[in-house]
Amino acid sequence: MEFDPGLFIELFTRMFGFWWVILPAILLGLVVGAIPGFSAANTIIILLPLTLSMDPEIGLVFMVAIYASSRMGAGIPAILVNIPGTAGAAATPLDGYPMTKQGRSHQALAISFVSSVAGGLLTTIMALLAMPWLSQVAYYLHSVEMIVVMLFGISLIASIAARDTLKGLIAGFFGLMIGLIGADVVYATPRGTMGLLELYDGVPLIPALVGLFAISEAFVVIERRSILSDEGQRLMEEAGWAETWEGVKIACSKWWHIAWTSIIGLVIGVVPGAGASIASFVAYQQSRTYSKTPELYGTGHVEGLVAPESANNGVTSGTLIPLLVIGIPGGATAAIMLVVLQYHGVTVGPDLFNDKPQLAYAPFTAMAVTYFLMIFTILPLARYMSKVTVVSTTYMAPIIISFTLVGAFVSRDYMFDMYLALAFGVIGYVARKTGYHVAAILIGVILGPLLETYFLRALKMSQGDIMVLFSSRLGNVLWVGLFLSVGLSLYFEKRKKPGNADDG
Amino acid sequence: MTHFDRGASRRAFLKGTAAAGVAATLPLSSAFGASFPERNMQVYVPTREGGGADRNQRAFAGVWKKYLNTEFEAAFYPGAAGRVAYEKYMGLAKADCHELIFGNMGPEVLNWVVEPPTFDLNDFMYFARVDADPGIVFVKRDGPLQTIDDIVAEGKKRTLNVGVSRLAHPATLGMLALGRHTGAQFNPIPLSGGKNTRAGVETGEMDFGALPAGGIVNRPKNFKVVLMFTHKNPLPDLSDNAPTVNAKFGTSLPDLVAGARAYGIKKAAIEKYPDRYKILTESLLKVFDDPEYKEAIIRTKAPWELIGYGGPEECATYAKAMTDIGKDYKDLLTGKS
Repeated sequence: MEFDPGLFIELFTRMFGFWWVILPAILLGLVVGAIPGFSAANTIIILLPLTLSMDPEIGLVFMVAIYASSRMGAGIPAILVNIPGTAGAAATPLDGYPMTKQGRSHQALAISFVSSVAGGLLTTIMALLAMPWLSQVAYYLHSVEMIVVMLFGISLIASIAARDTLKGLIAGFFGLMIGLIGADVVYATPRGTMGLLELYDGVPLIPALVGLFAISEAFVVIERRSILSDEGQRLMEEAGWAETWEGVKIACSKWWHIAWTSIIGLVIGVVPGAGASIASFVAYQQSRTYSKTPELYGTGHVEGLVAPESANNGVTSGTLIPLLVIGIPGGATAAIMLVVLQYHGVTVGPDLFNDKPQLAYAPFTAMAVTYFLMIFTILPLARYMSKVTVVSTTYMAPIIISFTLVGAFVSRDYMFDMYLALAFGVIGYVARKTGYHVAAILIGVILGPLLETYFLRALKMSQGDIMVLFSSRLGNVLWVGLFLSVGLSLYFEKRKKPGNADDG
Repeated sequence: MTHFDRGASRRAFLKGTAAAGVAATLPLSSAFGASFPERNMQVYVPTREGGGADRNQRAFAGVWKKYLNTEFEAAFYPGAAGRVAYEKYMGLAKADCHELIFGNMGPEVLNWVVEPPTFDLNDFMYFARVDADPGIVFVKRDGPLQTIDDIVAEGKKRTLNVGVSRLAHPATLGMLALGRHTGAQFNPIPLSGGKNTRAGVETGEMDFGALPAGGIVNRPKNFKVVLMFTHKNPLPDLSDNAPTVNAKFGTSLPDLVAGARAYGIKKAAIEKYPDRYKILTESLLKVFDDPEYKEAIIRTKAPWELIGYGGPEECATYAKAMTDIGKDYKDLLTGKS
């Protein structure tokens, strides 16, 4: 795996030659990413007969392009109508949707696109250059360390609670309790399932996501004429290409923020089993902690949008590293790619880099080219996509509800999930009306089960000794970082007056 | 309309009515059996896409469809260690031989030992096993433990963490039996699937692992097989000639085949449509002799030596053996001891 500039130049040139595969895959990825319940993984599964019939290199390029673009696609409805397409985009609407309500959706989309592309491109290039070292991350981040990483994300609840301690903690605790529903990961004993088979595997994420964010929002906006504020309405009427360009400039001015939050995504992505949902919340929490204006987060703050979008695109390249270097897929989509590669007789692992370097490096060069082509494909569309926000809520609210109910259904094909989404919609509506933070509930629902998995595993390994949590040197360093991070965050929060928070 | 036309039409109508009358007098099942399958075959899979069962089912169904002249559609229900798929299948699938389930018999039968399903197990049966993948113990190729003797010796000094796919799994039972026999302390850690188990061993979080052989022997650079839980090692060349548990330790364990993927069906479907069931079983046997199937298996890097047909009797015998040994270790599998 030595760096060979000649090989990389040849590979990039070759990948640009596959533009005819990449461009349709980008469009497909953007569409499926934007539909709640769909994802790159299940799209690639549906298209397996097609990819299996392709030449392995072309098939790989096609899958990688869908993977990268679907990640960006998931952010679009999250920003425009408060519907995160996947759990990886769950932190995007926290600041993206308030920007839309303020009539800044052109800007928000442009910022999201530039952050995604820049974050994805940067981490892809880093992955190419530092693959042997990055692959080692998985050897150090075990269950104990992952518990602490997870707590970085969950500590966002504490930051939210700083505005209204009791309500913030109740909402977070409620989310964590919901996250515990389902069979436990060690003995598969069902807990809180009420005898419902559909809950054995835990509360499904997509119905919870779309219910808490989108359906509850639809219930709220139906009380108004538009999802936009009056000022937002005016801004949208005047908005044009200049606003899109303004968004690009704002995102470019946050280049350092994009860089470090995307690296968080890359590192978390390398760990098998970790994913974009962890990365985006951790990046958001870190961004907030070290911000000079943490009180603005949740109100349509640019950095609050940049952080999750850069991080979840950083994860994309990260998950491919363990697949190619040690033969272990870092996530669901990478696992499906492995099936395709195996079908073609390609053995992944260190030998691939010696035997077929073109194929080994192809996913990363394809990803870099995809990101490069994506910005030219998607940016001009920002203006037109934004128009959706001016549609009257008389039409928009029912469309959102129907769209999200279908999304809730398609991920598992259970009617139950549609009812569940509606139930979460009602919970979200009540929470909004009573001042409880929907995001705090959602953090608990998304990260709670993951935290529990690592926690129970660590306890089982130590045979019940709780001190296992402090048994690793790296883990202890992370604990110190966590306490500093939460402490500083709360300290700065208390020093400032509470902002005009909106949970989006 | 001419007179001729009218006459022809009338004759056609009478002929058609007579034919329909004759058909109505035939046994219903025969009438349907002749055109079976009438629609796509539906297969419930109790594990995630991309796993061993998906890989095997895809390869098998890819050839079987040729003989049944229809497509196969797989639906994946990985919830609660596969329990959801069986409950869904028994609750929703039509008993008309078009809907089957494809799972790994060992872990799924053990699931029912730990907690009985809501349906009556007598209403269901496995009818065709497609592979017999032995449970094995494996270590990281360049890890500190290199042989089963190393593992047992170290296990007598300290408790070793063993990465396993699930607690209720034949390979896990093999580890528990080995620990009971040798006095070594093994702590099985369920990591939810082979992929995660391999990652746990590769990254050093687990001391070693226990899984079906198929997913390990095709990664010789990463892992080394050190013990087999069957009476014979079917893969001597791919497994560094790993010893078998009974030969090495003098135990008398039954064959702990950890990957015994099989098609299952509702018994009601067989009783109602015996001719359809016959078509299913006769056509699936042809798959094993089809070079296209061998090619598909080899392409997935799974060892062809593990592929082999097992009929309803073999499936029932295997399920009973797993149930018996599962009952013996039920307390350990449920955390009650």
